[in-house]
Amino acid sequence: MNANQPNANAKVPMEAGLSRRNFLRNSAVFASGLAALAASLAPLRELEDFPSMDQFLQKYYKELTPEEMAKVLKRIEDEVERQYSLRPHVRDLKPLAGVEYVYALNLTRCIGCRKCVHACVAENNQSRTPEIQYIRVLRLPHGSLDLEKAEHNYNPEAVPEKGYFYMPVQCQQCKNPPCVKVCPVHATWQEPDGITVIDYNWCIGCRYCEAACPYWARRFNFAQPSLPKERLNLDMSYLGNRPRARGVMEKCHFCLQRTRAGRYPACVEVCPVGARKFGNILDPNSEVAYILHNKRVFIQLKEEMGTSPRFFYYFDV
Amino acid sequence: MNDKPRSSVVLLALALVFCALALAFGLRVWGKPRILPPNPLVDVQFITPNTIRTSYVQMIRLKADLSDFDCYGCHEKNKPPTLRFDTNQNLIVPQEHSDVVMNHGRHGRNNNCFNCHNEKNLLLLQTRDGRELKLEECPPLCGSCHGPTYRDWEAGAHGRVSGYWDKTAGEVRKAICVDCHNPHSPRIPTRKPAPAPNPLRPAGRQVTHED
Repeated sequence: MNANQPNANAKVPMEAGLSRRNFLRNSAVFASGLAALAASLAPLRELEDFPSMDQFLQKYYKELTPEEMAKVLKRIEDEVERQYSLRPHVRDLKPLAGVEYVYALNLTRCIGCRKCVHACVAENNQSRTPEIQYIRVLRLPHGSLDLEKAEHNYNPEAVPEKGYFYMPVQCQQCKNPPCVKVCPVHATWQEPDGITVIDYNWCIGCRYCEAACPYWARRFNFAQPSLPKERLNLDMSYLGNRPRARGVMEKCHFCLQRTRAGRYPACVEVCPVGARKFGNILDPNSEVAYILHNKRVFIQLKEEMGTSPRFFYYFDV
Repeated sequence: MNDKPRSSVVLLALALVFCALALAFGLRVWGKPRILPPNPLVDVQFITPNTIRTSYVQMIRLKADLSDFDCYGCHEKNKPPTLRFDTNQNLIVPQEHSDVVMNHGRHGRNNNCFNCHNEKNLLLLQTRDGRELKLEECPPLCGSCHGPTYRDWEAGAHGRVSGYWDKTAGEVRKAICVDCHNPHSPRIPTRKPAPAPNPLRPAGRQVTHED
């Protein structure tokens, strides 16, 4: 025991090594380290669109009971009202029985005026800055359908121009949609009426669907969307045109807030030359059935991809 | 024992760097994230579903001034107006109708007012087979020459529609020929296109495939 005594004594100076000076110095380092950690989290202060608890705990769209859906719709109305001080009417419109939508676009008639693009933006509450547009109007030289020669930034004094024709491209509502297959969380799916929809509350923003789409039809909200209050469309639907958040995908949904209530999409109504046609292909008396039977329907765009679009381009005559 | 002062120097330097960074973050030395200048809102004319022109039918609906269509305010009843042609058989449009531009059919072939108007009653239209139609009922008249287009229009494949595709939910509104086509000069005029996409690149630079 005695032999151990000096060792025990030797420990005392070691413990005394935590002197007042060392303690102050170490705690200063520690405190500045903490401060630096806190400062490095500073970008979190810019996180304005942090989801509410209800939003965070919301169930998957297909699992929501009607009562839960009503609560969700009310919450969305509250959110929109808080942001824009206008009360919207948000509905959850279900697909109609015995209806499959088909779109037909007359390439002989289209004059490339881009009215469809902007009517769509206004109808579907797309972000103005940064700009999100579902429709791209391609200008192609006469005599070929080579998309490599397409140009969508054309801006002449007057359209149509000599020697060109115009081909608007938007979501083709494929029968075999590649975007749906790649979604890792099933936030996008095809409904029985043929519309491929997105649950904006379920989307994780991975952008796989954007990469999978051969038509460049999907648009991503890289920044907080900005909507002018005076152009806000208050007739909204859950899967359709309610305002989106940053970090989610969106695309054309055939204006489902209109079409599932029996109305024509905004792009059809605004087209000044009547090049756009829309209807229920299961109804043999619809105009799209007439067009597919009687007109020179020449393509589904990028037919060789096997996507089988519900969007048909045709020529008159 | 020699590396003890060195390590505290390193620690002190690190602490200073961290403190400086913390201060910089706190004071937002690098500024806020860049805010994009807002894109101008597109002109309302590019989002209204109005037709290209305002036809007589629409003027009736809008309760507009219809005095231009009161033919017998100037013309005499039971006295068909006489038409005058120049040496090339082109119609000379009288001054009172200077708003009429005759450009229907190639090479001015459809240049006789009474191909469509009824000379016996100027308030009516007439087809070549003798049917008389009101001004607001033009489609059968236009269809008497443009048969395939008339057939497409009746099926909904030609021309503009609005309202409801689902006939059980509401009614479909079909534009008639003259809502879009000027009957005297039916070709749709060229127009200024709506603004091109304005993506996140500096103004004035447009990427084309020639680049």
